[in-house]
Amino acid sequence: MTATSPGAPSGTGRRLLGLLAPRTYGWQTPAATAVAVLAALALSSALIAVTGGSPSASVQALYQGSMADWTAWTSTLLYTAPLLLVAVGACVSARSGLFNIGQEGQVLIGALAAAWVGLRLAITGPALLVLMLLAAALAAGAWAGLSSLMHRLRGVNVVVSTMLMTFVAQQVVAYAVNMPWLLQESRVGNAPVSPQSNPMPPSGLLGSFGEYPGLQVNGGLILAVGAAVLVAVAITRTPWGFRLTMLGRNPLAAKHAGVRVNALGGAALAISGALAGLAGAVLLASPVGVNRLQPGMAMNIGWDGLLVALVARNRPLAAVPVALLFGVLRSGGGFLAATGVPSFLVDVVKALLVLAFVAPPVVVALARRRRSGGRTAGPRQEAAPVAEEAIA
Amino acid sequence: MRTVDERARELTPPSTPALRLRGISKRYGPVVASDDVDLDVEHGEIHGLLGENGAGKSTLMKILLGLVQRDSGTIMRGDTPVDVHNPQAAVALGIGMVHQHFSLIDALTVWENVILGDTGRIDRAAACRQVEEVSRRYGLPIDPAARVDRLSAGERQRVELIKCLRRDPSVLILDEPTSVLTQAESAELFTVLRHVVRAENRAVILISHKLAEITAATDRVTVLRKGRVVFHSATRDTTPPELARWMVGRDVSLRAEGAALGMLPVDGAPPAGTAPAETASPGTPPSEDTPPTEPPAEPPAEPAAAPAPPAVAAAPGVPSGGAATEIVPALRLSGLTVTTDGVTVLSDLSLDVAPGEIVGLYGVEGNGQSTLGDLLSGLLLPASGTVELAGRPVELERPGALHRAGLGIIPEDRHSSGVVLDMSVAENLVMKSVGDVSGRGFVSRRKMHAVARRLAAEFNIVAPSLDAPVRSLSGGNQQRVVLARELSAGPCVLVAAQPTHGLDVGAIEDMYRRLREAASGGVAVLLISTELEEVMALASRIAVISSGRITGVLPTAEATAERLGMLVGGVAA
Amino acid sequence: MSAADDISTILSSGIRLAVPLALAACGEYLAERAGTMNISLEAMMLGAAFGSVATASATGSATAGLVAGVLIGLVIGFVHGNLAHRLEINTFVVGLVLNALMLGLTSYLITISSFDSHQVAQVSVPWLRDIPLIGHPLFVERWPVYLLILVIPLTWWLVERSRWGLELRAVGEQPQAADVTGIRVNLRRRQALLWCGALAGLGGAYLAVGEVGSFNQNMTAGRGYIVIAAVIFGAWRLGRTLLGCALFGLADAMRLALPALGLTLNSQLLVVAPYLLALLAMLVFATGNREPKALGQPFERGST
Repeated sequence: MTATSPGAPSGTGRRLLGLLAPRTYGWQTPAATAVAVLAALALSSALIAVTGGSPSASVQALYQGSMADWTAWTSTLLYTAPLLLVAVGACVSARSGLFNIGQEGQVLIGALAAAWVGLRLAITGPALLVLMLLAAALAAGAWAGLSSLMHRLRGVNVVVSTMLMTFVAQQVVAYAVNMPWLLQESRVGNAPVSPQSNPMPPSGLLGSFGEYPGLQVNGGLILAVGAAVLVAVAITRTPWGFRLTMLGRNPLAAKHAGVRVNALGGAALAISGALAGLAGAVLLASPVGVNRLQPGMAMNIGWDGLLVALVARNRPLAAVPVALLFGVLRSGGGFLAATGVPSFLVDVVKALLVLAFVAPPVVVALARRRRSGGRTAGPRQEAAPVAEEAIA
Repeated sequence: MRTVDERARELTPPSTPALRLRGISKRYGPVVASDDVDLDVEHGEIHGLLGENGAGKSTLMKILLGLVQRDSGTIMRGDTPVDVHNPQAAVALGIGMVHQHFSLIDALTVWENVILGDTGRIDRAAACRQVEEVSRRYGLPIDPAARVDRLSAGERQRVELIKCLRRDPSVLILDEPTSVLTQAESAELFTVLRHVVRAENRAVILISHKLAEITAATDRVTVLRKGRVVFHSATRDTTPPELARWMVGRDVSLRAEGAALGMLPVDGAPPAGTAPAETASPGTPPSEDTPPTEPPAEPPAEPAAAPAPPAVAAAPGVPSGGAATEIVPALRLSGLTVTTDGVTVLSDLSLDVAPGEIVGLYGVEGNGQSTLGDLLSGLLLPASGTVELAGRPVELERPGALHRAGLGIIPEDRHSSGVVLDMSVAENLVMKSVGDVSGRGFVSRRKMHAVARRLAAEFNIVAPSLDAPVRSLSGGNQQRVVLARELSAGPCVLVAAQPTHGLDVGAIEDMYRRLREAASGGVAVLLISTELEEVMALASRIAVISSGRITGVLPTAEATAERLGMLVGGVAA
Repeated sequence: MSAADDISTILSSGIRLAVPLALAACGEYLAERAGTMNISLEAMMLGAAFGSVATASATGSATAGLVAGVLIGLVIGFVHGNLAHRLEINTFVVGLVLNALMLGLTSYLITISSFDSHQVAQVSVPWLRDIPLIGHPLFVERWPVYLLILVIPLTWWLVERSRWGLELRAVGEQPQAADVTGIRVNLRRRQALLWCGALAGLGGAYLAVGEVGSFNQNMTAGRGYIVIAAVIFGAWRLGRTLLGCALFGLADAMRLALPALGLTLNSQLLVVAPYLLALLAMLVFATGNREPKALGQPFERGST
C-alpha cells in the first residue's frame, strides 16, 4: 500500500503519484500521525482489555473476518466499494469549499431511485442495471443540488441543510417502503409485510468476477475505483479541476477570474451527491446486503465514507486505501462477536483512527503558524467551508 | 554626526515621561519586528510614530497593548517598570488605543461596544450615562443605544474614541486614525486630540505614514525603520524631506518616491484630510532635480536611482488635460448606480478613460471606490448604468465578460480576490487563461510553466520556484504576479485599485514604472487610490469621488490641494 | 371526556419528549451565539444517557446518574472545545468524529454490560395538577423537568445580560474585533461549549434516568440534530428555539399516539417535521440573516 500519510494539505496534487504521497511539510506531520495512530490503537486495546476481552484475539478476529481468505477479502471489498464512492464524492464537494455532510441521506435517495427503476420499470437485460445506476446518481445528485439551491436562493448554510436533508431522506425511504403503492413488498398469502421492498430482479443485480471460494470482485468495486481515478484526473489535470480548486481555495479570486462560482459549486455538490447515490445503488444491487430497499440499508456508509475522505484529506486516490481499511474494519467487525467483543468496537477504533489522522496535520500547521507569528501563515484546513459566502 | 542615542538624550526633557520604553525587542522566527527600541512619550504631547509599512510600528503598539509579548526590554510607566501581559493589564496601566479596523462589533449597540473589555457587572444605565458624559465633554455626539452597524465611518471613529477616553487613559494611541475620515472629521479628531493633550495633560501617540499629518499635528516625532528607532526629534526642528529620508533610509530623489512617502508636490499645502498646517509645511516640492539639502547620516542604499520619468506620464500623442473627446474612450463608465441594503454606494457614476491615459480616481476611503473595484472585478452588478470597453458595452452579468472584453484589474485586496494564496505562482499566473494552457481537455503543465517562466522573467517576480505557493512570496512579488497576469492578457484597460497598498518603497516604484509603461503602450489606466500624492504623480487627469459620485474631474496640472480637498468634501470646485 | 383525556395524554408525552430537547437547546443556543456550530450535541446527549444509567446502577441513585450525565456532557464539551478552539480542527469534523465515537463506545459498552433500572422521583404539585387538560401534563412530572424553570431564565440572563454573555455574543459575531478588545475568543468559545455540554448532558441523562429508566443502543436517535434544527428554527433566539422544541416534542408525541388513536396520519411526516420546519424557517423567513456572523468559523489571531 502506498503511503497514506495525510501530510499537510498540499497545493493541488500535481501528478497522480503526487496524490498518493502528497507534499508534506517536513517530518513532523508523518511523525505526529504515527504517534497518534499508535495512541489510537493503544486506547482501543486498552478498552478491550478493560472490558474483559483480549486485544490480540480481537486483532486475530478482525484479520479472520477481513483478510484471512478469499471469502473474507470478498466481503471486505464489498464494503469498500460504497465507502469509496461516497468518499470520492465528498472529495469533490470539499475541494470546492462546500462541505457536504449529507451523504447518509444521499445514499438512501440513490438506493430508492435505483429500487424504483429496478422494480417498477419493465426492462430486462443489462440496460436495467445501467438505468438503475443512472437514476440513483441523478436522484441523489438532485437531492444534494437542493442544498446548493437553498444556499443560493436564501443563503441557507450548506453544512446545515445537507445535514437536515439526511433525516428527511431517511423518512422519505421509510415512507416509500411503508406504502404498498410505492415500493412496499407485495403480500404473499397471509404473511405479514415488512417495511421493505421486493428483492431486485436478477437483471438488476451487480455481477461479480471470480468464483466462490476464490476472490470475487463485484462490479461495484470496479465502478468505485473507476470513479476515484476519473475524479482524481479531473481534479488535478483538467481546467475544470483547476477552477474547482480555485473556488475552494479562494472563492472571491475564482469569481474575479471569471469562474461561474454558483454553477461550479452547485455542480460540485451535485456530483458529490450523485456519487453517494451510486453508493446507494451499489448497496442495493451488490451482495453486501439483501438486495431490497430497507430504511436501515445505508448502514452508516454515508457517515463513514465522509470520514474516509477526511482521512484521505480530500484526495480521491488516497481514499482508495483508506476505504479499504474501513472495509477491513467493517467486515472484520462481524467476526469480533465470536471472541466475545461486540462488533461496535470497530466503530470506536474507526473514530479514534480518524482523529489520529485528521488532527496531526492541522496541529503541525498551527504550530508552524504560531512559531512564525502568523506572518507566513501556513496552509489552512482544507475541509473548511469557505466558499459559501461567495456563492450567494 | 551625532548618534541616534545622543540625539535622543538631548531631546529627553527632564520631567518623568508618561511612558518609557527601553530596549524593546521582538522577533518572529528570523524576522526582527522590533529591535532594541527606546521611546519616551511625555505628558501633554502628541508624539508621532512614523514608519513605512512593516517598520515595526504595529508590533510595538501590540506589545504596549499586551496583544504581543516582547522578547526583551522594559516598559516603564512613570518610574516603575511594568509588565503588560494582556489587554486588561494595558487598560489598568492607563494605556488605551483607538483602533482603525476590526474593533467594533457591528451587531452590538454603542454602549455595549464601549463597555466591551471591561470587567464586572453590566450596568446599562451607568454605561449609557458615561457614554453621554464623555461624548459631551469632548464634543462627540452619539446615541448610546444605536446599533453600530447603522453608523457612518466618522461616527464609528467617535465610538472608538469614546470607548478609549472613557477609561481615562493617560497614554492614548491612535493608529492611522484619518484613513477613513473626511476632512471635516479629521479636523474634529485633531481638535479633540489637542484638547486631550493641552487641557488634560494626557500623552498621545499618533501612528501615521502621512508626513503632512505628522508635521501638522505632532509635537515630537520618532521614526522607525526595520524595527529600529532611526530618528528622533522635536517636530518643529525637522522637515518633511528629512523625515522622509529617515523613514526610507536613502535620498528621496524620485518624484514617484516622494509621492509614495506622502509628500505633496504642489503648492505647499498639506494633503486633504489633515488639519491646517500650523507647523512647517512641506515647503518646496521635492522635485526630481532638487536634491535634498541635508543628506542622511547613513549613506543612501542605492545612490544611483533610476532615471526620473517625466513629471506627468502621458503617452505620446495623447493630449494631457483630459481632451479625450475625439477618440473613442477605451473605458467608459456611464450612469453606474449600485445600491446595497438600501444605501446608494455608487450614484450615477460616469467616467471616460482614453487609450494611453492614466486617470486617477481619488477620494477618501469608503466613498464607493471598493464598490467600483468590485464591480469592475465582476464581483457585483450595478442596479443601472453601463460599462463600455472600446465603445462596446459589456454584458456584466456574464462571468468573466469584463476580462474577455479586455479589462485587466489589480484588485484592492489582493489576498481576498487577487491571488489564491495556496496555489502556486504558475497557477496564479495562468488563472484567467487556463483554457490557453490546456489542450484536449487537460491542463498542460508544460505550457503553463512556459507562460509562467516568461511572465516571471518579464515582471521580475522573485519566487523560490514557480511551484511555490504564492503565500510564500513577499507582498510586492504577489502584487507583481497579479500585474503580470492582468497585463499578459493584453488588456486595453487596466484598473489598478490601491495598487501600492502595503508595499515597500522599492515595490511601489516598480509598480509606478509598470503602470506608466502600460499607459505608454496604449493601455487606458484607471488608478483608484486614496493617496493623493500617488494620483498626482501618475495621472494626467484626476477624478474625485465622494459619497459614491464623481464630484469633479481636473487635469493634474490644475489640481491644487485646495480644489481637490473641496471636491473630496463633496463640494464642486 | 375521552377526547380531553387523549389531548392530555398527548400533551403529557409531548412535554416529556420536549424536555430533553429544551435542556440541550439552551446549551446549543448559547454555544452557537458564541460561534460554535456544535454537532457533537448528539454525542453529549448519548454519552450522558449511557453514563447516567451506568452510574445510577452502580450507586443506586438516579440523581447521581443525573449528575454523572452532566459531567460526561462537560467532558465531551471540553474535548470538543479543545479540539476545535485550541487545536483548530474544523468544528464539523470534530463533531462527526465525536458522534461516531460515542455511538460506537456506548453501543459497545451496553452490549457487554447490564444495568439495573433507576428513575428519578416524580413530583406531583397539589391543586395545580387538577387543572383540566394541562394540569396533569404540567404538574405531574419527574423533578428534573422543573430544572427548566431555572435553566431557561439563567441561559437568557447569561447571554443577554451578563458580561460573559456580551463577550460571547461579540465572539460569535466578530471574533477579530473581540480579540482586539481584549476578549479571549477561543477561551470564551470553550467555556460556551462547557455550558452546552453540561445542559446537553442533563438532557441526555433526563432521557435515560428520567423518562425511560434504562439505556438502549443509540438511545438518543438523532435528538441532538433535532435540537440543532430547533435552534435554526428559532433563528438564534431563545424563545423561538424553545417553541421549536415544544413543537418537535409534540410532533413526536402525536406520532407515538397515532396507533392508539386509530388515526392514519402519516408517521413519517411527523418524524420529519422538525427538519422540514427548520429548513422552511430558513427558506421562508431567511432566518440565516440572524445567524451569528462567525458561526462555524475558527478564530486565529492574525488571520482575517
